Amino acid sequence: MSLLRLEALSKRFGEHWALKEIDFDLEEGEIVGLVGPNGAGKTTLFNLITGRHKPSSGRVWFEGKDITFYRPHEIQRYGISRTFQSSRPFARMRVLENVVVGRIFSGKFHLFPHTEDTNMARQLLELVGLAHKEDALAGELTLSERRRLDLARALATEPKLLLLDEVVAGFSPLAVKQAAELVQRARERGVTLFIVDHFMSLSLTVSDRLLALDHGEKIAEGKPQEVMRNRKVIRAYLGTRHDDEAQSAER
Amino acid sequence: MTREQPTSAPMKHLPLAHMVLLLGLAILLALPLLSGGNDYILQVFTHALLLAILALAWNILAISGSISLGHAAFFGVGAYTSGLLSLESGVSPWATIPLAGFAAAVIALGVWLFCRRLRGAYFALATLAFVEIPRVLTDNWDGLTRGSLGLVGLPGLPALRFGSHYFDIGASSVGSYYFVLVYGLLLLAIVTLILRSNLGLALQAIREEETAAASLGIQVQGYRLLALLLSASLSGITGACYAHLVRYIEPGMVYGLHFSATPVIFAICGGRFTIVGPALAALLLYPLDQFVFHPLLPAGHEFLYGAVIILAILFLPSGFWGQLRKGQFVSIKTGSIE
Amino acid sequence: MWTTVLVSGITLGSFYTLVALGFALIFGVTHTFNLAHGELIVFAGYVAYWMWKTYGVSLLLTFPAAILATLVLCLILQRLFSRLREPMEMNSIVLSFGLAILLQNGMLFFFSGDYRLIRVPLLNQRIHLPGLSLSYGQFTLLTISLLVLALTYVLLHHTYLGKALRATIQDRESAALAGINVRGMGILAFAIGAVLIGLAGPLFGSIHYLYPTAGLQATLIAVTITIFAGVGQIRTLILGGWILGFAESCTVVLLGASWRELVSAIMLLTLLALRPHGILGREEQ
Repeated sequence: MSLLRLEALSKRFGEHWALKEIDFDLEEGEIVGLVGPNGAGKTTLFNLITGRHKPSSGRVWFEGKDITFYRPHEIQRYGISRTFQSSRPFARMRVLENVVVGRIFSGKFHLFPHTEDTNMARQLLELVGLAHKEDALAGELTLSERRRLDLARALATEPKLLLLDEVVAGFSPLAVKQAAELVQRARERGVTLFIVDHFMSLSLTVSDRLLALDHGEKIAEGKPQEVMRNRKVIRAYLGTRHDDEAQSAER
Repeated sequence: MTREQPTSAPMKHLPLAHMVLLLGLAILLALPLLSGGNDYILQVFTHALLLAILALAWNILAISGSISLGHAAFFGVGAYTSGLLSLESGVSPWATIPLAGFAAAVIALGVWLFCRRLRGAYFALATLAFVEIPRVLTDNWDGLTRGSLGLVGLPGLPALRFGSHYFDIGASSVGSYYFVLVYGLLLLAIVTLILRSNLGLALQAIREEETAAASLGIQVQGYRLLALLLSASLSGITGACYAHLVRYIEPGMVYGLHFSATPVIFAICGGRFTIVGPALAALLLYPLDQFVFHPLLPAGHEFLYGAVIILAILFLPSGFWGQLRKGQFVSIKTGSIE
Repeated sequence: MWTTVLVSGITLGSFYTLVALGFALIFGVTHTFNLAHGELIVFAGYVAYWMWKTYGVSLLLTFPAAILATLVLCLILQRLFSRLREPMEMNSIVLSFGLAILLQNGMLFFFSGDYRLIRVPLLNQRIHLPGLSLSYGQFTLLTISLLVLALTYVLLHHTYLGKALRATIQDRESAALAGINVRGMGILAFAIGAVLIGLAGPLFGSIHYLYPTAGLQATLIAVTITIFAGVGQIRTLILGGWILGFAESCTVVLLGASWRELVSAIMLLTLLALRPHGILGREEQ
């Protein structure tokens, strides 16, 4: 049984179909990259999985359970966490507190933060390289630091599946490399990862498999090298002319 | 400023702030002595404490991200519930005051009915409108509430008896003052506990980024409602205390701008992201208004409140105490509580 | 009796639309709420009252003074608003809330809490038409309101400035890209708003008692009608005003005058409950 199963997922906004009949299986322990040009429906897919939007049709299965219509906070209880495309730190709270918030509803609910929770939060801050900024206000962090905080916060919930939405957008190549290491470390902690990555700088290096979308449809699925050579994928990103060139180069 | 050890760095700021607070507390405790038998001074500070308490209660809701411009709805309902019950049935105010809190919570459910999907400015506007409902109802329902004439001759707070000791509350200015002071410290303790708990963290998270909070498992609507109910019932209890302290209430007063506007002003000027900020602002501004501006301008002395809030929102949005404690906002102690 | 209600509803409603128009315009262009709107109207009323009482000026001639005084205040308010940071909607509410308190106390200081009225005996006389009768006061209210609304409509739809204003209301960013001075539009909106307020004030002061706290009702009415209409047409504002006016008149007849204040509050709450994303929510679809 796959960890996450998407069954004929579709979403319509008015006249516009954001997602059409998406079928996909995600296995435990995998890192899967979700790729595709702007407007392909990547974030919408995440929103459907995490309950921010209801699908127009289709189902989402997690560990065999139908979670299609669950609300975001319920989804989290089942073990799915996410980060957002535009980083959303709790700006007027301190960095450490941001991560501790992730602990509140994971495991047993305590009235007051327990030492284990703050310790784990500190551990995660170390993991993402923010330990020295524990007392800073989250609003004062740089972009790269915020995204790392998002990651730490999401990891604090001890998810089984973590959805990362454009976590390296705007990063320098070095920062992307560091993010790749973080993703690997997350996997080592037993987290399955589903990563949205528009420019593919991250997904190509860390993913076991890729799922490619364009205009709401699945156009390719498989190993990164295969997907990258797929004609439809090239066409989607670069346009028909480049595809023609690629074709003639192949001959 | 360098921080070598995250845990100890905040300590550098704490002593000054704590000393200021302790000094303030000492003054408040010794006020009856310091005022040398001047009842007027005591009464002003009693009212200031009541406003401080109301501001603290208001802030519980604000911590969750909802700014209410009509909190007098809860205050007034509490005042009228306790007043009417004790007047009609002869039951002791000590029993009717908690009931007032309950009544205010019921009213809060009414607010929730209209406002639960509202955020920010629209929530504020809705509360501005909502307070008109209990006000007009109370004003017009003569049969129940004596209408715009108000309730006269409300029972004062009865004295408390502990064994052979007898404490005058309502009957003496000093008794009333200490009662409100103790109530205030109690409320401060409650607010501190709430805000330093996981509930407080959840509420702040909701205020900051609702969607992210939900994705971390926080039941946003549930917690917002909880904050509203807590804030409302505490405001209602405060209204009831007010009723039995001044022993006369009328709709225009208890549902009026004074009790709707002052918590907003004190919380924002003091610091709505802090615990004590709202109370401090109340204890500084209200006496300032009464002792300095009221004699100068018998009509219009409350302009002060308008002026300070304008200055605060333009230049010091985190409040004077918030600014002082910048970076030390309401938070868990880094050492955490077991 | 129902004709009385109808007449009352339409005259009152048209006046309410006049009251709301300035508020709606300012909000549409600058995305700020001016909670001191009502107090500004009362202030304009007091200025007119003062001119009438102290200098014996006739009601009609008080308008320019009232407008001028309001213009000054509104432009100050605009400067203050322009210093605010995001979220504009919430911050403007708090700032204008403070201003409302300032104005109330200022008026209390200068005019005391006594009820004031600009007495124009002519306004109480009644006009008798077949089927209905109304007072000159109601007639004046109705005609001036509709006239001003029509003029504003012409301004917005048949002048270049009006087009620029409407463009800014629809989409500030695109308007800026099209070369429109968005900041200037904001100032213009406040200026037009001030004129509308300055007209409404003396009218208000001649048909209704002036007292320092009379503003809240006017603000509530403005907010209610604005939210009803959304960022829409003057037509919709008029519809909203008439509905409110009619509802209030019915309430006065059925329940009594003291219940009138509840009507706008309940209408606003219902509107917000049905439309939680407020005025701009619909556009985001």
